[in-house]
Amino acid sequence: MSYIAFVEGPLFLIAATVFVLGALWRVIGIIRIGRKKDISPPKGSEAVGFIRGNLRHFLPRGIFARRTWVHIVGGYGFHLGLFVLVLFAAPHIVFIDERLFSVPWPALPRWGFIIAADIAFAGLIMLWVRRISDPVMRLISDWDDHIGSWLTFLVMFTGCLALQESHVFLRATHMLFVDIWLIYFPFSRLMHAFTFFLSRGNTGATYGRKGMSL
Amino acid sequence: MRVAISVVLIAILLVLAGSVTAQSVRPPGDAVNLEDSNTLGPSNALGNLSDSDIWRDFRGGDPMNIDDIIRGPIEGQMMTRSGQLWREIRENYIRKYAGWFPVGVIGILALVYLLMGPARIKSGFSGKTLPRFNLNQRVAHWFMASIFIILGLSGLIILLGRPVILPIFGPTVNSIMTSAAMQGHNLFGPLFVVALLWMFIKFIKGNFFQIVDLKWMIKLGGLIGGHVSSHQFNFGEKTWFWMVILVGIVMSATGIALEFPWLFDDLRVLQASTVLHAVGAILLISVSIGHIYIGTIGMEGSLDSMLKGEVDENWAKEHHDLWYEKVTGKSATDDSTEVTKEESGS
Repeated sequence: MSYIAFVEGPLFLIAATVFVLGALWRVIGIIRIGRKKDISPPKGSEAVGFIRGNLRHFLPRGIFARRTWVHIVGGYGFHLGLFVLVLFAAPHIVFIDERLFSVPWPALPRWGFIIAADIAFAGLIMLWVRRISDPVMRLISDWDDHIGSWLTFLVMFTGCLALQESHVFLRATHMLFVDIWLIYFPFSRLMHAFTFFLSRGNTGATYGRKGMSL
Repeated sequence: MRVAISVVLIAILLVLAGSVTAQSVRPPGDAVNLEDSNTLGPSNALGNLSDSDIWRDFRGGDPMNIDDIIRGPIEGQMMTRSGQLWREIRENYIRKYAGWFPVGVIGILALVYLLMGPARIKSGFSGKTLPRFNLNQRVAHWFMASIFIILGLSGLIILLGRPVILPIFGPTVNSIMTSAAMQGHNLFGPLFVVALLWMFIKFIKGNFFQIVDLKWMIKLGGLIGGHVSSHQFNFGEKTWFWMVILVGIVMSATGIALEFPWLFDDLRVLQASTVLHAVGAILLISVSIGHIYIGTIGMEGSLDSMLKGEVDENWAKEHHDLWYEKVTGKSATDDSTEVTKEESGS
């Protein structure tokens, strides 16, 4: 079996299975923990608080916005750029169409891909160099944070190195990092992609029940 | 017998009649006259000029004449003559010698480190620190450093793949690495412009040259004639800053020309861009190796300024005494720090 056949075949199948089952296991596990019963009379709606808590966290608090602008710009740039790359890069659409769902959709033109990739890379690098430059961030960061950042970078980086689509080896290397990333995902803080709305919602619901404005 | 004679006579008459008919057909207007051809050759294909004259006419002049190249193509010129000079420069000078500059700098620094060791803080660490770079400055610096390393490595692969990687690892590895490097270089190139602008905004303050820098330069940063005073940035740091900004502008402009060649109608712009881009890159890479050396293993206590944003007070006194006096309001020659150190028992 060739390198490309292995990473796009059995290894991808295993990685995707670990990713889906692992992520489901963790999300269901968090939901099953539930919330401690609050016997005080509610002064507001928990459900509204859940939604407001999620929406409110998309915007920085005024007093912090100036101090954390690198984090805000880097965070939004990286995540939005990454979503665009994952969903609208032409090779990804072809891969999903041929191997997963057989549902093609329009791809980004090359210039659009370059812009999205540049924004995503700039954001990721900004976030990581801030992590190592800020004493507080450095203190609260552990290996998981760094491995997650670097794995994501390597997935994106190897994908861009394979852009010319002239060598199978480069595409296979990109797929190898994708597989590693998928396997690592459920057991790391990369899970925040699926759990962030639960934590924000939990805080929002608690405040909502107490009638606090967010 | 009579019949046979009649057949022969008819045959003779037919042959005679045929030849008369053939001679009445006129040759086409562009038919080659064999007599003329014997003199001048078919269609005069070789002409009256030598091969050299023909090719010189095609090129519209001497391909190595820089004045002709700058003047641009003349009307009716069939070949791009600037390509030959560009190829000569690229193959015989840049590709041949470029790689030796970074290697030479690494060799010199290794020798310096082995012979002299790192520059220590003479009075040792005081245990007290001064803030030197804020978070935004540090993030801007490391952002530029990340982009620079990616562009530097990928650029070296593109430039030196054929003379260095190909003979050692073979054509397949060279092809894969060059393809990957080209895509990476093109993708990260635009980010260099952003990083450069960010660096300029965050570090322009304090990087204008002053009189005291002249003394620093004359004394070669203290290598001769003892201690030299310096503000927040010394002459070497200021020179490096302006080199990054000015050469960086050239790199950005030529990089844009090379990444978006359809923006320029003149091939000479692209040829000049490749030469300037390569020379600028080798210059920046070579000097950056010295910058990395001084910022890490070459000078005790300097890495903290970019990792933690703080430097030891004794480091500040020894290397940036005027800056130390400005931010603390104390004299750099005052030994109060030493007293504090002894008092604290550190």
